[in-house]
Formats: sequence, C-alpha cells, structure tokens
Amino acid sequence: MSTNFIVENLKKEIDNFSSQIKAEKVGHVLEVFDGIAKVSGLSDIKSSEMVTFPNGETGVALNLEEDTVGVIIFDDFSKIREGDEVKATGKILEVPVSDNIIGRVVNALGVEIDGKGVIKADKTYPIEKVAPGVITRLSVDKPVATGIKVIDAIIPIGRGQRELIIGDRQTGKTAIAVDTILNQKGQNMICVYVSIGQKDSKLRKIQTRLEKGGAMAYTVIVSAGSSEPAPLSYIAPYTGVSIAEYFMDQGKDVLIIYDDLSKHAVAYREISLLLRRPPGREAFPGDVFYLHSRLLERACRKNQEYGGGSITALPIVETQSGDVTAYIPTNVISITDGQIFLETDLFYKGIRPAVNVGLSVSRVGSKAQIKAMKKVAGTLKLDLAQYRELEAFSQFGSDLDNATKQQLERGKRAVEVLKQPQYAPMAVERQVAVLYALTKGYLDDVPVDRIKEFEEGLINYTENKTKKFYKEVMETSMWTDAGEAELKKAIEEYKSNFN
Amino acid sequence: MTTLSNNDIAHAIYLVSKEKTHAELREVNSKVIKFLVRRRLLSKSPNILERLDKIINYESEKIIVKVFSARKLTEEMKRELTTFLGKRYKVKEVVLAETLDEKLLGGVKIEINDEIIDLTAKNKIKKLQEHLIRKI
Repeated sequence: MSTNFIVENLKKEIDNFSSQIKAEKVGHVLEVFDGIAKVSGLSDIKSSEMVTFPNGETGVALNLEEDTVGVIIFDDFSKIREGDEVKATGKILEVPVSDNIIGRVVNALGVEIDGKGVIKADKTYPIEKVAPGVITRLSVDKPVATGIKVIDAIIPIGRGQRELIIGDRQTGKTAIAVDTILNQKGQNMICVYVSIGQKDSKLRKIQTRLEKGGAMAYTVIVSAGSSEPAPLSYIAPYTGVSIAEYFMDQGKDVLIIYDDLSKHAVAYREISLLLRRPPGREAFPGDVFYLHSRLLERACRKNQEYGGGSITALPIVETQSGDVTAYIPTNVISITDGQIFLETDLFYKGIRPAVNVGLSVSRVGSKAQIKAMKKVAGTLKLDLAQYRELEAFSQFGSDLDNATKQQLERGKRAVEVLKQPQYAPMAVERQVAVLYALTKGYLDDVPVDRIKEFEEGLINYTENKTKKFYKEVMETSMWTDAGEAELKKAIEEYKSNFN
Repeated sequence: MTTLSNNDIAHAIYLVSKEKTHAELREVNSKVIKFLVRRRLLSKSPNILERLDKIINYESEKIIVKVFSARKLTEEMKRELTTFLGKRYKVKEVVLAETLDEKLLGGVKIEINDEIIDLTAKNKIKKLQEHLIRKI
C-alpha cells in the first residue's frame, strides 16, 4: 500500500466526516463499587437506557431515583473514577443480530468470543421486548423431537412450549439439553444455547460436542461465564431470546436453552442487593418472578399471519437436595408449561436419563405428538405409574397374583427400554417401533438384562424389513392399519429368531 | 411514615420563604434549621440547598450557564450566547459563569444543569478519531 493511497484515503475520510451538534445529557459518577455506579444528573434517562463512561465502558441505567441513577457496568469498572462524566446514549440496550451469528459463540452483548473474527450484523434487536400478544399466537401442536425416548413418549414437548428441566447437580440436566440440540439436525430448527454463570471448561466441552455432532451449523452459543461480572449474567438470557426472536421473525422455528436460571436469579439478586433494593424471600428481590416470567413469555408460536415462527424454551433450574419448594424452582415451575424432573436416586440406580416419570409433566401433552407416537405411547405413562405403585407394594409380600406379576415384569422392561445413553438421540420412527413392541407385550418374555440387545437388533431388523412403515411415519407421521400389520409381522419374525 | 425527599424539603422551604420580608425570613431559616436537626437531615443540607437553588432558578425563569472556553469570550459573543440560550430554554435571565481552559484548544463548551453542548475543537478531534478508527 503506497503512502499516497493512505493519505488520499485519510483525506477522503476527513472530507466525509461531519459532526452533528447536539445537546447531550450527562451525569457524574458519585460512587463505583462491585460493577455498580451511582451517577448524579442524567435527568431524562429512561430505564434500561445505555450509558457510556469516558474510557468506553458501557452500562445500563437500572435504578432511577430522584437525585441519582443506579447503573450496572458491563466492562471492567476499575478504571472508572469518581467525578467521571457519564453520557446517556438515548438507546435502550440492544444486541447486534444477523444470520452470520449461527455457529458462533458470543458474549452477553452479542460480541464474538470464539476468535473467529467480527460478526457482521445487519440489525440490532432490543434485549427487552414485550412478549407477543394473544392475537399473534397459535396453539402448540407441532412436536420438537428431542430424540430422548422417555421425553418424546411420555412428556412430549411442542414447538412454542416452555418446558423446565429441573434437578439436583449432576443429574444430567445439561445432557438432556445438549442431546436435544444434537437431535435437531435436519429438523429445520435453529438452536440458541445460553450459558449463564457456567465454568468456561464446561462450555468448551459442550461446544466441542456440538461441533463433533455437526450441531454448530444451526446453533448459537451465548455465554456469560462465572468469571464475568453479574450484570452480564443478568442480561445473557435476554440477549439469547433477542437472537432467537430475530430468527423467529423470519418464520423459523427456534429452540432456546437457558442453562441455568438459578444462577441467573443469583446474579440478579447480587445486582439488586448492591442497588439497595429491598430483599424478600431467600434475599431475592420482589420482582424475581417478573424477571423470569417476562423472559419465558417471549417463547411462543406465532400464527401464519405474523410469520409463523416459534421459540421453544427449555429453561434449566438446579435444585438443592431435590427441594422443588424453594423460591426459584416454584416460580419457574408455575411459569412454564411443564417440567422434566431429574432425580439423583434414579441416576445412581443406573436409570439414565434420570427422569422421574411421576413428577414430570407436559401441560401441552399428546397434542404435541405425532399420530404414530400417540398411538403407541398412550398407555405407557399409566403402565409406569402402576408399576411404581406395585413395586413399592410388592416389597411387603411375596404372594402376588399373576396379573400383578405381569404388570411388574412389564414395568421393569419399560424402565429398561426408556434408558438411553448420552449423545445418542433416537429418531422418532425408531422410537415408535420399539415402544410398539413394548406396549404390545412382545418384550414380556425377553430377559431384562437382554432388553438393550433385543432393542438394537429389533431396530436394525425392522428398519430393513419395514421400509414402507418407517417411510410412512417419517413423512406423514401417520399410523395406518397396513403399517401396523407390517411392523407387527416384522417384530414377530425377529422375535422368533432372537435367542 | 413516608420518607421526605430532598426535593420535597427544598420545595417546602421555597414555599414558606416566598415573598417574605427580611425579618420573617430569619424566623423561617431558624425553623428550617431546627427541623433539619430534629429529623437528622443536616448532612443532606448541601443537596437540599442545591435543589433549592434549582427551584428558585426555575421559578424565577433563570438559568445558570457554565461556559468553558480556551480564550476569553468577547462581549458580542456573550450577548449572542445569552440571546440564543434565552430562546432555547425559554427563560428571562441567563447568567454566564465563564471558565478558561486552554486544553479545549478552541470553541466553547456550554453546560446547563445536566445538558452539555460541546462545540470545542478538542471534542471535534475526538469524534474524528472515533470516526477514523471505526472505519478502519
């Protein structure tokens, strides 16, 4: 590059430069502590308006008081001094969005952190938005295939639904979320994974797993790590949902995972206490319910007139020693349309995913299942509930009648069939074949320890023998008598050869 | 009990002292100080006075303008500035408080309450710098 070129370019830039004269609203820093600044002045500032500090740090006005404004700072606050000039920008906090964001890892402000270069954005979306109204919505009736048998069969999730994943630490909450993302390959779904207050090593592991499974081609990761200031953890889920809304507005279906909202509430508690807002139960501020309800309400399915996209939300909440009656779990349970409850006991018994079928529920229910799945899984939940009841009862006596014994045996096999390893989501048509064999009693005389072997063999066999049935379920999601007869015949054939 | 804000107190002081004679004002002042002591608000008196100042200025349609410039303003410039600001803020009286600051290089910076109109060369150069860095 010649010197002349540089000089000419600079001249051109200087010629193009015009600075507008405008009156700016300013304030002065009164005090700074723990990521919070108290600022005087800024008289006409709006709530959630962005402000800038002299060294380029950004913040958001959260507390509007008579004499002062409480600002949360998103960057390193150590360089901000008392008396520094703070400028109001007139803009509500927004994040850059574009199609290029897919496959990238961004921070809570939408800035890339994966070292793959700047993400060129065409638009910005405000992070706080009123959720779509009733007129724009459509009822949930299209399934999200998670690829996890127990969920797809018993606790189905629909597009536009909010299903909570709740459980103690180390029970496989994130595993369910990651498996669900992995299973969205070819399902026409964009995924947003919001990591709040997680270890960077865990995030890296998830990212690598998603890359390995080819899932980063349709996934965005929003991260607010545990070493970052609490204000970033506080805004991360809103950033995630704004990115999701960008895709939903294009008529696409989006799946968003908030991992996890307990840490989000803790970050908000920290900010609120520092801003001297009065503490309530468990020292959380009074508006912690609204914090989550306004976030989760943005998950919806829009009708065709309004674009037809959807946002399905899978928030994760961590409980302490299985206590679902704590403040945040009860709040989020009441906001969401159902919960997947994971238990430590089941996990250590080897039942993985450790879903407690009795306590887990999906309020959308079978409306979000394909016809074929509805047909085969209809009695499964009841069978399992009866099994659990009888299991407890049978421990007291050994004399059981044949019907009870049969129910117990069926239950044991159902539990075995619903076990599934991590990172191995199963296509819905395969699930239908296996569950059909289970509910029709074809597994009743197979030894429990050989169920997995039987299942694998059955899938391989039926896939080759009943191509018509598989195609039918895959393409039309329907269940026909002809299809059923074909499947039945194949299962019987396979079973007669199984030894 | 509702808490009294600095603004409420300043407003009350303004209302009781309005149109009072010199002797009456002395009595009002002593009562105000007793009230502040009784309510343990003496430490807040600078803020209350600042608020009171703003209320008095607002009621008497007056603004105090801080003008920062690199060189001393000429009388004509001051007159022009006073007329312009009087019209912009719709006030009868404009009081200019001048401060000289060579670091501004040129132009003026006007500060009214928490509003700033920065017309200095220093600010323009800073904006040009931001423009060039962003472009590159």
